[in-house]
Amino acid sequence: MKNKIQNWVDSLENKNNPDEYESKQLVRLFGIGVPEGERLSPGSAFEKTSIDPPYVLKVCSSTILHKTELQGVILNSGPDTVADDRNLMQKRFPKENILVEHQSSFTGPEFIIGIIKDSALGHAVMVGAGGVFTEIYKDTAFRLAPCSVADAGDMIEELALSPVFDNFRGLTLDKEKLAKTVSAVSQLADKMGDKLSQLDINPIVFCDEEWLALDVKVMLEP
Amino acid sequence: MDTLSSLQQLLNPQKIAVIGASKSKGKVGEIVFRRLMGSRRRLYPVNPKEIVIEGHKVLADIGSLPQDIDLAVITISAAAAVNAVEECAKKGIPNHIIVAGGFGEVGEEGRKLEQKLKNLTRKYNIRILGPNSLGIFLPDENIDTIFVEHGDKALDRKGKVACIVQSGSVGVEALGYASNTGYGMRAFVGLGNKCDLDEIDFLKYFDQDKKTNCLGFYLENIERGREFLDAAKKTTLKKPVVVLKAGMTETAVSAVSSHTGKLAGSDNVISGALKQFGIQRVYDDEEFCDATKVLSMLKQAPGNRVAVLTAAGGYGVMCTDFIEKDENRAPLKMAKLADATKQKIKEATFDFTACENPVDITASADDRMFSQSLDALIADDGVDIVICIAFFAPPGISENLIDIIAEKTNSSDKPVIVFTKYGPFTDNFIKNLYFAGVVGYPSVGRTVRAARFLVERARILKRLGQEE
Repeated sequence: MKNKIQNWVDSLENKNNPDEYESKQLVRLFGIGVPEGERLSPGSAFEKTSIDPPYVLKVCSSTILHKTELQGVILNSGPDTVADDRNLMQKRFPKENILVEHQSSFTGPEFIIGIIKDSALGHAVMVGAGGVFTEIYKDTAFRLAPCSVADAGDMIEELALSPVFDNFRGLTLDKEKLAKTVSAVSQLADKMGDKLSQLDINPIVFCDEEWLALDVKVMLEP
Repeated sequence: MDTLSSLQQLLNPQKIAVIGASKSKGKVGEIVFRRLMGSRRRLYPVNPKEIVIEGHKVLADIGSLPQDIDLAVITISAAAAVNAVEECAKKGIPNHIIVAGGFGEVGEEGRKLEQKLKNLTRKYNIRILGPNSLGIFLPDENIDTIFVEHGDKALDRKGKVACIVQSGSVGVEALGYASNTGYGMRAFVGLGNKCDLDEIDFLKYFDQDKKTNCLGFYLENIERGREFLDAAKKTTLKKPVVVLKAGMTETAVSAVSSHTGKLAGSDNVISGALKQFGIQRVYDDEEFCDATKVLSMLKQAPGNRVAVLTAAGGYGVMCTDFIEKDENRAPLKMAKLADATKQKIKEATFDFTACENPVDITASADDRMFSQSLDALIADDGVDIVICIAFFAPPGISENLIDIIAEKTNSSDKPVIVFTKYGPFTDNFIKNLYFAGVVGYPSVGRTVRAARFLVERARILKRLGQEE
């Protein structure tokens, strides 16, 4: 794993500041599901993609944090429109890469999984109610990294949101798999060591029987 | 000498030097020396200004001390204390308690003095408790160097809780509360500024101490955080560990740009970490004492179903509300009583007794009715914990009820916790319950919270057991 992480660090376009595409590559190394995607550099040719439609197009920059507010996301693109949508996006952000991804459909709530570094205790992993309102709900649970799957299960049970796993409104979300994902993220923090400053997976959703990280942001120590 | 052996010597010294021992009433050197006079250890007061204190010849300087002193209690002020420690070290004294403040907690000058102490521990291979330490108090060993009033007479011998506290006044108040209401103190250690000995050293010591069955820590900072947590987790397999952690940890978030960083708020991290390592967290000195008392005196709860026995209807309802309240620490539920149990209670009391849980035997009840109803509840397989709401004002209830409850508590595998009040006599009743071996609290909320500590403890053991 050490080599894989080093290779990943070496491959970063903007050293120490991974973009969304690269952040997703990192979590994938730890078995966390991400949508199939392609990163297009400015000016590169693009007609079509082998990825299954529908598509979501996102500006893929390590410096833009809130893509939606800057019109940096186009949803529901199809095989016939994806090339035009890419051009439109490139006009908005002439110097940035564009990420084309399969747009996953999901039901059920969005979760957030994250990592921070505490000055006294080191890396801590968090799970919580995710999405754009995550900081308003403040429905979160923390443990130190690495944490076991059982610990992660306790964390999920601490959430106000946890009754969604009890067949709430017919939802069949896999709690055990989410716990495994939280534990895997904590392993990532442990393996990355001091290099890792913060990490956000928000949202992570349940899609085709797997938890899928729709957006990932990794922050490294300078 | 390894740390465990030197702590053994520090906490149970045979020959003690008191540097700055004094005759002047109210001086720290006077109080500490007077307390130690009760310890039946060999005492060596040192003070150039005194000749004799209470029949003890006072030595003029540290150089005149014999070679085999186990512990020096340094009661003089900061700068002088540093020199005294060095002289004691040269004399071969291995352990030192420094009472004085005025070190790292007051600024740059103090920090320099504290660094000097640290250097001395390395240079002479000595151990220091403090500076700014409240001292140590071990009722069983008859050792007490605490220089503030703390009602030690009321703290029962044979206590089993080791209290390790960083701050002075919080520690003193915990002692005060404990002695007002009865509390089994095994040891009280004031860590102070922790220039040498810290919470991890004492955790490891009391982990091994056969007379300790519960450890409580009041901490403001945990410098070796992970190490403390790892060690505490090992202890929790055998003994409950309770932590009162004040002051938020700082979360080093270089630029708070992540959602996680904004949500961490730092106290969330320590809360999660304590849970992860099987440590029970409390939030003030009262809760600290409540938790350690019940965890030390009662067995863990077999489950979370609570039966409530009351002679006062209002408190029974209130108690039910507290039990059913959604609490993160550990959920409780009202036990569903077996028909046989209800029948037994009716036969023992009145036809009109409300036998649904909470069981209200009314103010017309007497000692016998209370006793037989309690028997029925303890015997019910659907009950894991019994909360007894005992009032001594009704004419049929006498103080014998204390012994009745005690006898059942001591012979039952199920925890029985008592809530009682009696106007200005409340503390006395709680204390008398304690002396009979019964855990009692003067409020409904605290009584129910105590039940949660037992359930939380059972869950921790179950979880740690799964990991084994």
